[in-house]
Amino acid sequence: MAQPGYYPGFSTLGQQKFWDAKTRQVVLDRVGNVPEVRFFSPQEACLLNAVCDRVLPQDDRDESHKIPIVPQIDRRLFENSHDGYQYEDMPPDREAYQLGLRAIEKIARHRYGCGFLEIGPQEQDEILRLLHDGKPSAANDIWKRVPVHRFWMLLVSDCTDAYYSHPWAWDEIGFGGPAYPRAYMRLERGEAETWEVTEKRYDWKAPENSVSGEFEPVSGQLEHLGSPGQGGTH
Amino acid sequence: MKSPLLGEFHPPGGKPHMLGSIQRIETPMHRFSEGEEVDYAIVGVGVGAGGGVLLQRLARAGFRVIGFDAGPFWDTERDWVSDEKGAHNLYWNDLRITGGKHPLAFGANNCGKGVGGGTVHWASFTPRLHPSDFRTHSTDGVGVDWPISYSDLKPYYELMELELPVSGPSYFPWGDPHGYPYGPHPMGGVGDALIRGCTKLGIGVSAGGPVAILNGSRGDRPHCIYRGFCIQGCKVGAKASTLITHVPDAIENGAEIRPNCMVSRIHIGRDRRVTGISYFDPEGRERFQKAKAVVVAGYSIETPRLLLNSACPGFENGLANSSDCVGRYLMAQAGNVVLGRFEELVRMYKAPPAHALTEEFYETDPKRGFARGFAIQTVGPLPMAFARQMMTAKGAWGWGMRSVMMDYNHWASFGFLGEILPHAENRVQLAEEKDRLGIPIAKATFTLHDNDQKLIEYGKNKTMEVMWAAGATEVVQEVRYAHLVGAARMGSDPETSVVDQFGRTHDIANLFICDGSIMPTQGSANPGLTIMALAARTADYLIREGNEVFTSHKPNSDKPAMRRDLSPPDTRGHGMPRI
Repeated sequence: MAQPGYYPGFSTLGQQKFWDAKTRQVVLDRVGNVPEVRFFSPQEACLLNAVCDRVLPQDDRDESHKIPIVPQIDRRLFENSHDGYQYEDMPPDREAYQLGLRAIEKIARHRYGCGFLEIGPQEQDEILRLLHDGKPSAANDIWKRVPVHRFWMLLVSDCTDAYYSHPWAWDEIGFGGPAYPRAYMRLERGEAETWEVTEKRYDWKAPENSVSGEFEPVSGQLEHLGSPGQGGTH
Repeated sequence: MKSPLLGEFHPPGGKPHMLGSIQRIETPMHRFSEGEEVDYAIVGVGVGAGGGVLLQRLARAGFRVIGFDAGPFWDTERDWVSDEKGAHNLYWNDLRITGGKHPLAFGANNCGKGVGGGTVHWASFTPRLHPSDFRTHSTDGVGVDWPISYSDLKPYYELMELELPVSGPSYFPWGDPHGYPYGPHPMGGVGDALIRGCTKLGIGVSAGGPVAILNGSRGDRPHCIYRGFCIQGCKVGAKASTLITHVPDAIENGAEIRPNCMVSRIHIGRDRRVTGISYFDPEGRERFQKAKAVVVAGYSIETPRLLLNSACPGFENGLANSSDCVGRYLMAQAGNVVLGRFEELVRMYKAPPAHALTEEFYETDPKRGFARGFAIQTVGPLPMAFARQMMTAKGAWGWGMRSVMMDYNHWASFGFLGEILPHAENRVQLAEEKDRLGIPIAKATFTLHDNDQKLIEYGKNKTMEVMWAAGATEVVQEVRYAHLVGAARMGSDPETSVVDQFGRTHDIANLFICDGSIMPTQGSANPGLTIMALAARTADYLIREGNEVFTSHKPNSDKPAMRRDLSPPDTRGHGMPRI
């Protein structure tokens, strides 16, 4: 399979000799040393893997270029690392994940009569859309302890953190990556550096049977949804 | 080109402690021996915007002073990376509980850990407050007046703008009009969009600053290379942080930095004066440091946390809290991010996130139906932050997330920065949970009020209007709050404030606060420069008072003369403002 995105042949890793040594070490470690699963049980890890495959689908990537998501989430939870705060109405992240996974499994059984792993990707998407819409059809006891919109945002942002911190994702979206000590010189009009690739657009479409290709606001009272822990921007 | 002509890049070898790519600390740091009493212990997160400036000045004036920092003393070549995820350890990631109707995010959003504090990861916009910010109650009937006026702080703003220094236009038209000592930076794609949008709507805009980033080399600091990783820590050493602007001079003058030391308690003696502090050393052993005076500089969460955790007989509600104001009047600025998609490419990861702004809407306009105002500024989220913004702003996930992220290079983003007023019930308290050292953690409660919500609604829409005018074909926004101030506010009345105009607590004569928590209101300016200006003023006061601070129970309220001779070397007489 070709590299996804509009920047064919762009490789940030191909520029690694221009990076400073510490950055090179950190990024190469991320690519080369995928951590073992230590926090989740094998069953939980398997279920989370299926969930992450739909929250951040990678069907258009070949097996050797799929970006590991679950190992990154597992490491964060194993090390008990977080963004420095916990919502008053949320349990700690570890507990939230274990409860959220149980709830997803319950919804699958309630809706389809079998587990999340046994249903097809479209049905899996439908279940995740219920979380996105804030209307889970089962496991209300769990959602009383873990507000569904907060769990959804925790899950999605952990998945995007893992995916978009990976140099293969930078290649996909045309992000130049580390730039010290070399610098950027072409700052305006979206111009590419000599070592970057110019965008070549084509008509990209999500797979027809997926429900996650459209944009709908996340559920809940919007004002409550602010600040899910994004890196500060100003 | 596959590799650099002279081979791949290696860090400068050897031992020296690097601060940026050129500056190194040559002087061995003075270490105070165990049991030795120092003049000042600066504690909390410790050595950030306020603590760094104060430490440097006290050391230069000959005081024996230690800066305690809960985080590391960064060697920027060894410790920092040009990578979004790898910068996670710059932030205060210890647990806090956040609640209220509009809970605040902490960590990367507004809190640093390690020497330099938040200035290590600020975008470094450094606008001044406006004269009106110091008297919102008198003129607008909201908030509270400061015990000082703009004219008290103006010379300190000018001094800090030289010491950092600040790059910006030669004529900045808002508030008290002024010019900047270093010229404006070149534009990136986001700044171009802000200028285009503002110009189309007839809104004034400041291009290329004010921002504390060098556009030319100065001393042992090189100029900016426009790589866009400002809030991940500037490895270049072009963006100012007290780590590289003030701490080296403090060490040169005999100050000690005690990194990785978490202060847990301030001790009170029989005469109701501070005697020293307890802290956990890097190995987790609890130690005591004797000090003639203590300055808390832990910012709006850790400062009240430490004061509350230091409760003792005679101070049952926490230190300096006879007014019940410690922890109260916590503020954040409204910081909605407005994102616009353009047909043409932007590549917003290039150039500093902070490089253009407008303060056209800063002042109260009765026609808008609310008091006070806002600024609009450039921001430049990197991919991880942008994905989270797409999650909240568009509800993106799954294939939708993948497809909108493939368009990353087509998006530009503006930050709306709006004034939220102080409210007593927005506050920091102690939670039941404890941290790994057994110290009770902080719990913050934050809820917007009527004026805040009206201001945000108007400002958000105005910012979106500018984005449309810039030529965006799609505009979305996410709710967010930026910066923290308040929670130990200054005032003339000990009944309604924690510290006086010099940062001295009303209740304890040798206990001071020197950080953003003392700000009574916040305006729509990023708080960093104001925190530093207040710190320099506190320093002048402490230095003039001399030993009186350590013995007197009767605070002197005379204003000190400004000391221009305490600036770090090479910052005086360089880059004179044009007006």
